[in-house]
Amino acid sequence: MVEKMTATYRFDRLEQTLSQLNREDCLIMAGGTDIMVLHKSGRGVPLKLPKPLIFIDHLSELKQVFQNHKDIHIGACCTYSELLEHPLIPVSLKNAIKTIAAPAIRNRGTLGGNICNASPAGDTLPLLYVYNAKLLLRSVTGDRIVEISDFIQGPRRVQRYQNEILAEIILPSVLEEGAYVVFEKVGNRNADAIAKVGFAGYIRINEARIEDVRFAFGAVGPTMVRSIDIERKLVGKTIPLADADIVQVVAGFDKIIRPIDDQRSTATYRKTVALNLLRYFLSMKQYQAN
Amino acid sequence: MSLKDISTSVPKKDHSGKVSGQLPYISDVKVENMVYGVLVRSQVAYGKIISIQLPNLPEGYEAVGAEDIPGPNFVKIIKEDQPIFANEWVNYIGEPILMLVGKDLNILYSLLKEVKVIIEEHQAIYTLDEAIKQKSAAGVIMASYEFGESLETVSAIEQGAHQIIEEEYDTGYQEHVYLEPQGMLAIYKDDEIEVQGSMQCLYYIKNALLSALACGDDEVRVVQSPTGGGFGGKEEFPSMMACHVAVAARAVKKSVMLVFDRSEDMVVTTKRHPAKLNYRTALDKVGNILSLSVEIFLDGGANVGLSSVVLQRALINSAGVYKIPHFHAKGYVLKTNTVPNGAFRGFGAPQSFAGIESHLGHLSKLANIEPLEYKRKYLVKQGDPTITKGIFRDPILVEDMIEDLLKTSEYKKKKQEFQRFNQQNLRYKKGIGTSLFLHGCGFTGSGERDHIKATVKLVKSKDGIVMLKISNSDMGQGILTTLCKIVAKELDLPYEDVLYPYPDTKVVPDSGPTVASRTTMIVGKLLERAAKKLKAQWQSGVDQEVVEHYVHREMIPWDEKTFTGDAYPAYSWGVNFVELEVDTLTGNVKLEKVYGNYEVGKVIDDRIMKGQIDGGLAQGLAYGYLEKMTSKQGKIQQKSISDYGPPTSLDVVPIESKVFDNPYADGPYGAKGAGELTLIGGAPAVQAAIEDALHTTFQQIPITPEVIIESLWMKEGEEG
Ligand SMILES: Cc1cc2nc3c(=O)[nH]c(=O)nc-3n(C[C@H](O)[C@H](O)[C@H](O)COP(=O)(O)OP(=O)(O)OC[C@H]3O[C@@H](n4cnc5c(N)ncnc54)[C@H](O)[C@@H]3O)c2cc1C
Repeated sequence: MVEKMTATYRFDRLEQTLSQLNREDCLIMAGGTDIMVLHKSGRGVPLKLPKPLIFIDHLSELKQVFQNHKDIHIGACCTYSELLEHPLIPVSLKNAIKTIAAPAIRNRGTLGGNICNASPAGDTLPLLYVYNAKLLLRSVTGDRIVEISDFIQGPRRVQRYQNEILAEIILPSVLEEGAYVVFEKVGNRNADAIAKVGFAGYIRINEARIEDVRFAFGAVGPTMVRSIDIERKLVGKTIPLADADIVQVVAGFDKIIRPIDDQRSTATYRKTVALNLLRYFLSMKQYQAN
Repeated sequence: MSLKDISTSVPKKDHSGKVSGQLPYISDVKVENMVYGVLVRSQVAYGKIISIQLPNLPEGYEAVGAEDIPGPNFVKIIKEDQPIFANEWVNYIGEPILMLVGKDLNILYSLLKEVKVIIEEHQAIYTLDEAIKQKSAAGVIMASYEFGESLETVSAIEQGAHQIIEEEYDTGYQEHVYLEPQGMLAIYKDDEIEVQGSMQCLYYIKNALLSALACGDDEVRVVQSPTGGGFGGKEEFPSMMACHVAVAARAVKKSVMLVFDRSEDMVVTTKRHPAKLNYRTALDKVGNILSLSVEIFLDGGANVGLSSVVLQRALINSAGVYKIPHFHAKGYVLKTNTVPNGAFRGFGAPQSFAGIESHLGHLSKLANIEPLEYKRKYLVKQGDPTITKGIFRDPILVEDMIEDLLKTSEYKKKKQEFQRFNQQNLRYKKGIGTSLFLHGCGFTGSGERDHIKATVKLVKSKDGIVMLKISNSDMGQGILTTLCKIVAKELDLPYEDVLYPYPDTKVVPDSGPTVASRTTMIVGKLLERAAKKLKAQWQSGVDQEVVEHYVHREMIPWDEKTFTGDAYPAYSWGVNFVELEVDTLTGNVKLEKVYGNYEVGKVIDDRIMKGQIDGGLAQGLAYGYLEKMTSKQGKIQQKSISDYGPPTSLDVVPIESKVFDNPYADGPYGAKGAGELTLIGGAPAVQAAIEDALHTTFQQIPITPEVIIESLWMKEGEEG
């Protein structure tokens, strides 16, 4: 059944991979769990690929997890299963990963793939947004670092040059003490589900005062919904928050969350639930750092 | 292996082939001179075909349509209203118009895009509600029945009643999601077309082929291939595909393979009928039922198919397991321009049980009586009449089954615990719900005697190996194993010496379709009798054959016109308890404990029965809260398994179940039907549990998170 395919590359080293990418526009394949679905072309017919395929899932340069000062660096090609096993990965991220797909897909799917696929329902994205994740992009000309929120521009649209590979995801200062981070995925069932709503909340408290707070919502817009403006208004307030503050924050997000109706859910449901989860997060009496 | 107690589990006959992945399903088969088929389908819900323009077809590629059908252009089911290839009118989106055949699927897919079908569009009926409004228009009512207490008596009772309660209840689509999508292959030979595929009913297909090909009995042959799940989805639907491939094979003189991929399968194959059930109940001062009238509407989709029979079962079950004074029922199958609905495990009963259990649950609240206690007051007993003036002849163990579950689940204690939990927890609410149900085993009425007339054959070889020659399909439910066990035990043979090859109409008599929870009870009994006969005549070292024909149990004759008589020879029974937790922020429901007590006469294999219980309950529970399929302007919206959302192993919890013995004289070793029963109680128990958790009522299934959030939001509005 395998037809004559366009070229495929599988180099031993990242360097050679980058050189090839510099010469030729290729489709980068990490775990392939999005690519295989995106390019399938009917029962009994092989995948139709628009460009040569370049495999990166085996490159050891892209599979390291390490600590650098207070930051954690995660290799883009670490699979979900590998991250679940790794001691440096924060519990909240592990919890998010556990909600993704099912074991077989988690053995293939990568964090880098989830980011570069830039689905509005990508389950690691809300958390990566509240971690202020930075992305290290590598090409033959060197490295550059971008904010995840700048990198992801819309559904399946990322700001990556043809010759670049996402090499590392950096979670800045996660090893700082004291943040409480949650992730909630709302899907139609407990495995193999595409999120109807995703919510990540991050809060750091110092003696009952909020030092830092962040929220991100998934699957309720073309990309993750986050608002630095709304977050700032809460800094310095004391816990538990006053009702008026909660109402104001919820009202703020009510204005900027604009979900859609589709075959999986309704706009009304998505919005109501997104705001419910936010309100619940804001109404907690205390936040245990995790 | 010799069999002491028939219930003791044995390795399934198809175990190693399936577990090793070696067993070839139809899509794995390749034969010489084989081409593929793809179907050109209507993109319009209702309209008149004006013209069809084909692209230039490369050599070896051909189009097959209505003009290639030797016989009449309809799929023989009951009524002649389902074209094999639509050539004048189209009645739903996805209706087959033509088939393109050729060697390479890739080329076929691109040709498919180039076919232009011009259709003059007419105003379609998209939903059951629209159909109900237009009920009096010609052709909208496809079937209807009415029976029970006279309406004058009912209205006289209503006049004197303390209050009248009216409820409207809706049930949604359900999709079978068999693991193996539909597939059919016609093998072309000069003097015979052999159709192989995934199927439940070999002779339904054979009869459809005899009609479509207008040929002699020995010119068609139907062979079942290993079938990866059916659930009713492979009852009548495969007849249409078989006609497609057989007509095409005849036309192009090649073997033709038609296999759906998952999305095509989800969009165009039959589903469980969406239904609307209206209840009108007269109550006295303390909430006792004085009379009850039910009106049922089934969305038949574009063709009647088996819908009239589905409606019969829905109506026969419309009073649940209760003896209700002055009961009246009527029902309709209505036409909509949507994908035809058809057979699905339970066959109309799941809609009725969801509805009546919901209604009685709500009445119990009005009467201020604990729901289970209220329902028990009305429970039928042995000797009671059925709502169709039949009789419940055999012992009924439901009371024992309830008592047992009350103990095992610590029902009362749980209820109190949940109340405390709910007061303390603002986000999560726990609830417990129950359902009581039955399932009539076998065909409705005298169908077995008048229409099916099952025959079975046992063939013994010189070396003492016995083979089952019957037309029933193992589709995963385990009859390869259970039926062999029955014969082996009766003949005192090792289980290994009894074989059941995949059936082939060339060599098996018509023992009926594999439907209606009839196979173990009816076919199993015939086999048991055949085995007895063979044993009596057993001669070593020679070939022998015995044949047995169906014998009808003495009952009150069924009259379809007046809708009276014994609807079924026997009934199986069940009780479910469900504990769950609702997340009030998201509306998500998490099952915590599920219990099932069943009575199916006698279990033929413990592990296979457990498979039916776990699988049936998972499917039934999901029907109540998880699986959601919608149609918009005639188009099914959920085209993938993940969008539709059947339960995964993380959604279902281990099911605590028990089966009660109550041997039935006309079943093998006392066995009755078990396959459909296990699905029926899931949805109503889930609904009752969600209502218990949230202190509210729902008038529909599935109760999705969307429905829950809307209801909580409205409740909040009411409470200010
Ligand atoms: C059955 C199933 C269930 C799923 N369930 C979920 C779920 O619950 N939640 C969820 O979020 N997702 C889910 N997914 C989607 C998918 O598994 C994830 O998005 C996964 O993280 C993708 O990773 P991958 O390595 O397989 O990506 P690939 O398919 O290899 O790549 C995805 C995209 O990213 C690009 N890319 C990948 N790596 C790099 C890199 N290092 N540099 C530059 N570009 C790169 C590719 O070119 C491609 O465009 C599911 C998929 C399937 C098939």
